[in-house]
Formats: sequence, C-alpha cells, structure tokens
Amino acid sequence: MDSIDTTLFAKVQPVLAAALKVNPADITPALQFGDLPQWDSMGHMEVMVGLEAALGVEITAETITALTSVEAICTHLAQNGHA
Amino acid sequence: MPETTLEVTPALLIPPHLVGQIQSKLAYVDEAIAAARVAESGDRITLALRAAGREGEIEAKVQRVVQEMAQGGIAPRVEILEDHLDRPVSYAADPLAELLARREVYEESTGIFTFGPLMSRLIEYFESRFLELAAHFDAQPYRFPTLMSAEFLDRVDYFRAFPHSLTFATHLREDLDIINQFAEKAKYEGRGLNAPAEFFSQVQALLSPAVCYHLYFSLADHPLPDGQLIATSVGTCFRYESTNLTSLERLWNFTMREVIFVGSKDFVLEHRERSRQFMQAIFEELGLAYRVETANDPFFVGEFRKQAAFQTAFQLKYEIRARLPFKDSTLAIGSYNYHQDFFGRHLGITLPDGKPIHTGCTAFGLERVAYAFLAQHGFDPAAWPVAVREALV
Repeated sequence: MDSIDTTLFAKVQPVLAAALKVNPADITPALQFGDLPQWDSMGHMEVMVGLEAALGVEITAETITALTSVEAICTHLAQNGHA
Repeated sequence: MPETTLEVTPALLIPPHLVGQIQSKLAYVDEAIAAARVAESGDRITLALRAAGREGEIEAKVQRVVQEMAQGGIAPRVEILEDHLDRPVSYAADPLAELLARREVYEESTGIFTFGPLMSRLIEYFESRFLELAAHFDAQPYRFPTLMSAEFLDRVDYFRAFPHSLTFATHLREDLDIINQFAEKAKYEGRGLNAPAEFFSQVQALLSPAVCYHLYFSLADHPLPDGQLIATSVGTCFRYESTNLTSLERLWNFTMREVIFVGSKDFVLEHRERSRQFMQAIFEELGLAYRVETANDPFFVGEFRKQAAFQTAFQLKYEIRARLPFKDSTLAIGSYNYHQDFFGRHLGITLPDGKPIHTGCTAFGLERVAYAFLAQHGFDPAAWPVAVREALV
C-alpha cells in the first residue's frame, strides 16, 4: 500500500468515524469496506453522504464502487484538488 | 370512489428514473389517497382523494416524500445485459379482461387472486422450465414455511428497508374473555374486521416476503459445511402494495421459484451469471420478449436514495423485464441477485476460513411469467411458441 497523505487522512478520519458511528481511532489508513461491521452496504452509503457533505465528493456509481477503502478515498481527494 | 382531486407541484423536479418509484410510494402517504400519478415530465403529481378537507396536510406529506427521494438524487448506473424486446409477439390486448371473462382469474380480495386451469397449467409448465435450471446446478430441494420469524427479519434489517410492504401474522390473545367477545361480535365491516387492535397478540411472525431468506435463517450462527451450497425452493410471498394492487401485475400474494447460491463471492457471482446464460436459451424457446437490466429493490422512502444507489452501483440486481405489448411497457418477471456478504454478516454464517459467506439467488415470479406470456402470445395455442403448445395442448 502506498503511504497515505497524513493531511488528507486527518480530514477523512473524523468524517468516516461520524458516518460509521465509531471511535476515530477505529479509522486506520488500512481500513477497507467490510473490515468493520458498521462499514457494510448501509454504512458505505453513510460514508459517501458524509464525504459529500464534508469534502464535496460527488456521489456517482463510479465513486460509490471506487471509494471502498481509506486509501482509495485519500487518493481520490488528492486527485481532485484536496491535497 | 374518489371524492376530490389534488394537484401538487413538487418542490423539486422529479428526475425520469424516479417517476415510477415515487409514484408507487405515494400510495403509502395517507389512507385518503385512492390513486396517485406522477407526470412523466416530473413536474406534477395528481392525487385522487377519498375525502376532501385535508389537502394541505396531504400535500405536505407528499412534498416530504419527494424531498427525501429526489433531493441530491444519485443517477443509477443502468446496464442492459440482454435485449430481446423486439422478439415477435402475436397479441396486443391486456389478457386480464379475457381471463376475468373466462373465470380463469377471480379476484377474491384486493391483490388476492385465484387461478383456473389455464393459468395453473401455464404456471406449472413455466415452473418446470425453471426447475431445469435447478437440475443443471444439482440444486438441493428445500421446503419453507409461509410464516417467517419476526426476530430473524429484524436481524437482517428488513423492517428498516421495506416497512411499507410487510404483512403481519397475528392471532387472538390467549384470554377467554377476548376470544369469547371476538366469537360473538366479530364482523366484516367496511374495509375490515371490527375487532379492536388490543384483541390481537404481539407480532411474532410475518408472511414471508421472500423465499431465500428462509435458507439463510436456517444456516444462521454456524459455519457453512463444505463452504458452498446450491438450493432450490418454491414459496408463496407477500408484499403489500396498497393502491398499486390494481391488476395481475402486482399481487399481494404471489409465488416465487428460486435457485439460491451460498458460498464465496466468486462462487455466487459465477453461478448468478451462469443462471442468466442458461435461462437465455429457455426464454428463447418460450418466445418471450424481454430485457435483462440493472434494477433496485423497492426500498421505502428514507432508505431509498442511499440503498438504491448502492445496489445499482455495485450491480447487485438484474431484473428480467418482459414486454407488455398492450401498454408499451415492461414487467419484472424475475431477477438475478447478489447480496454480497450481507446475510453472512448479519446472520453469522461463515466460510471455512472464518469470513462471512456471500449469497445470491435467481428468482422467478410465476404468476407474472404466465401473465406476461399471455400478454405477448394470447389465448390461441396455435399462435403459441412450439415448446409451449406441445407441452400444454
């Protein structure tokens, strides 16, 4: 796994913690869809809505299927001008 | 009979892909609504109301539905896997009128139909063709009850996703006075029994909304022996659709034959795709004009936007949509489904490596298949595809 930009991770961590209703410490750079019971199909859409509201990520079929890990989310943000 | 009409201009323009979805949900907005129609342009809603006087309250509820389902709408990813809608058909009328006239179909109550010899033979024949799919996979036969445990439905979050279509099973409370009072005074009045709600027990069971859930419940809290399973079963399913229960297209009580796959992700996805390919040849023999395309389940208002988007984005559901020539429309007669590891996680069913199992199913709505066949090929066996004619005549 490539190293994750710590600034981006710091933005993403509280958003995911709030969306999944877990402790921020549970959101690690290696976390993926399915690793936590809360990050299931319903949780994933809460993550997407959270990313949309907090960081302006557009929810599309492509982002829904692509942003299934913390790494993928950070990479997407970096590629879309959030770095 | 409707007493008044209410025209509503939605606060948000309803996008084309949500017109049908929102229209079907309006049936559940208020008991005063006898019928609802959303214009294809998405800018007008027409409601037929059973009584006048509460228009403002009802309009506010309608706007809430539109807001929750359409705001920030996520456009679905539509993928068409097969398109045989242009397959030749020989009939152009709605078969329901003819079926009713022949007493082949009798509406016992709203959405509850009995079927005569023709419909029964067609259903039996089509089911035999679907059993070829089960045999192809050496699927193990199962028999499931009509009642379904409320406790298990709660474990799989069913109440949150589909509350509107539930059908509850109850019974009189174990109380001599209540049972005697019911026996003496119970009468059907207006739109139902006159017995007070407190006479009835707490709900422990519901009428099954799906077939495959029973299999997953029976596997709960254990590792899956051998790590994979293919099963088949037929069952009566119940989905309450309120004022949408207007023809054979939507029944409160219907029958589904399913072939069910349980195992790893690759195992389930491979068998779902092999199902589709196998059925393609059978549908061709049946002369069915249809299309297979991505779809979503009819989640209720609050869950709709997110869950429907998830389902279509990950292509979890493909519907087999048969052409209805008389209305230039299509009707879902079956589906190829993949649930990811949802049931494995919620029910504690694991693979040998300890990970949650994945599940999927191929499901056919038997009454709808027969109805779509008659809508396309009519009542004269001479005009039927050879395979059907030779089997039934």
